[in-house]
Amino acid sequence: MSQDNIIQVQDLVKVYPGEVKALSGINFSVGCGEFFGFLGPNGAGKSTTIKILSTLLKKTSGGVSVAGFDLDQSSSSMRIRSAIGFAMQEVGLDDLSSGMDFLVMQGLLYKLGRREAKTRAEELLELVGLTDVAKRKVGTYSGGMRRRIDLAGALVHHPEILFLDEPTTGLDPQSRLAIWDHLKELHGQGTTILLTTQIMEEADQLCERLAIIDNGQIVAEGTPKSLKNDMGDDFVRISLGSATDELNAKALALVSDQSYVSGSSVDEDGLVINVQDGDASAPRLLKLLIENDIEIARLAVSRPTLDDVFLQHTGRNIRGDSADGDAYNQIVRQSMGVRRR
Amino acid sequence: MGGILSETFSIYRRNMRTWLGVPANVIAPLFISGLLFILFGSMFERTISLGGFGTEDYRAFLVAWIIVQVVVFSGTDSGFALLMDIMSGYFDKLLLAPINRFSILFGTLMVSGTRALLQALVVVGLALAVGVDFAAGILGVLAMLALAVLFGLVWSCLGIMIALKTRNAQATQTAGLLFFPFIFLTTAFMPEDQLSGWFAVAVKINPVTYVMEAMRVMTLDGWEWGTIFTGVWVAGGMLAVLLAATTWMYRRQTA
Repeated sequence: MSQDNIIQVQDLVKVYPGEVKALSGINFSVGCGEFFGFLGPNGAGKSTTIKILSTLLKKTSGGVSVAGFDLDQSSSSMRIRSAIGFAMQEVGLDDLSSGMDFLVMQGLLYKLGRREAKTRAEELLELVGLTDVAKRKVGTYSGGMRRRIDLAGALVHHPEILFLDEPTTGLDPQSRLAIWDHLKELHGQGTTILLTTQIMEEADQLCERLAIIDNGQIVAEGTPKSLKNDMGDDFVRISLGSATDELNAKALALVSDQSYVSGSSVDEDGLVINVQDGDASAPRLLKLLIENDIEIARLAVSRPTLDDVFLQHTGRNIRGDSADGDAYNQIVRQSMGVRRR
Repeated sequence: MGGILSETFSIYRRNMRTWLGVPANVIAPLFISGLLFILFGSMFERTISLGGFGTEDYRAFLVAWIIVQVVVFSGTDSGFALLMDIMSGYFDKLLLAPINRFSILFGTLMVSGTRALLQALVVVGLALAVGVDFAAGILGVLAMLALAVLFGLVWSCLGIMIALKTRNAQATQTAGLLFFPFIFLTTAFMPEDQLSGWFAVAVKINPVTYVMEAMRVMTLDGWEWGTIFTGVWVAGGMLAVLLAATTWMYRRQTA
């Protein structure tokens, strides 16, 4: 895999008619063969970006190069289109065509001969497991089947780069996993993939590198791991067998003396202990408390998730609702002073 | 340029499949044409005695109008078909392909032409079945069909422009109502001699009248070149203007 960036974006700005600013100067690049993700809520600018990169939408300003072609040169858009495949959010499917006909048509659009297109369509149907329903109209397909046929349609010409706009939004978990498997396989074969998503797990599982986008700006960028590490400590949460104030205070004093503990507090559920490595610290904390005859009712380790990363950078949850997700979120908000007791 | 031809043809085939895939799309206009032909043919049969029709067979007089109304009304179908693709996102999928974007427009227009041809053909068949004798013979019938295709394209351009402008399915279908006056402010049911007042003036101004009259003389009188040429010129001129306008609008919207 080469070091070259197959996608290069500089100061990309998009202003829609009516002065609606969708992108206010974003910069990023994607390496050849990389699996890159755009994570952000609805309206963040993910689709706008991917549509500009795929030549569907005109940019307002900025520099974009895709597959080595500069978007500003008039001959580029045709070349870019030949190099990319695009599976869309508002699945652009032809409901009245059969799955087979849809794929053959895709083949013809990408300059395959009729026979070649047919062979390729059969291959792709096999690949996405839709051979059995090849003759059925696409309009009768389930949500998961639609995404799969759409993905197959984006692959007819063996594109160098695959754009995926929220490929699994609205799918059931099983269908989602099926799509993920396909994407992992394609990535394994060397295809560069640029994916947008608002599903944390998807970003976490699939993407080598992520950009978190919000209000038309990239607010954080890095590998999922580094983004989470930047969030800081893990948390170990311990509820005592009999949670008297006295006992809590005693436990807190013991715990906070430990070198590997970087912070500790008590809330209504018990002790909240900040540590570097939650998994390694939990047994030590357990041992410490038991040795001091403090009975433990519950223990839980939590570490930063991408949800927390997102919350940190945007000040809200990706779904747009108030952030009352998991325990970790609550702890973070407490430690940030969002919720006071 | 070889590319755009095969691209257009691929898109044409796909659009035809889509059109034929919904039987109602095909049957409804054919049914309406047949119905209008039989209803109006019987309703106004006796008016022939008023004179000035140039024939003793009212149905023969009616043929040209039936053809014109069916191709005019189907103009919105082209816009509607394009709009369906825009709304489903399939249009974007086509734009993403490394093809000339005008092949999408031309493929859509070719379907309109085919549809106009088939619809006109059914009317002609119906006319022959009830004993209408086409004065200009088989070549006349072919010329009428060609003119029907030409004129069908004119109204398809309008339909497509309305669809591109409104981006709304209901508006596109309702816009077909705007076509009504053009169809009825003609020598649809009565010859020019029988018309009077503002109506006669409106009929003179309406370009549809001339196209219809060209078809009518081929049905009733034979090769009356003056009337035929006028009709062809009017249809051809309208097509040239509207095709340019449609192409311009399409270019602007897909850039």
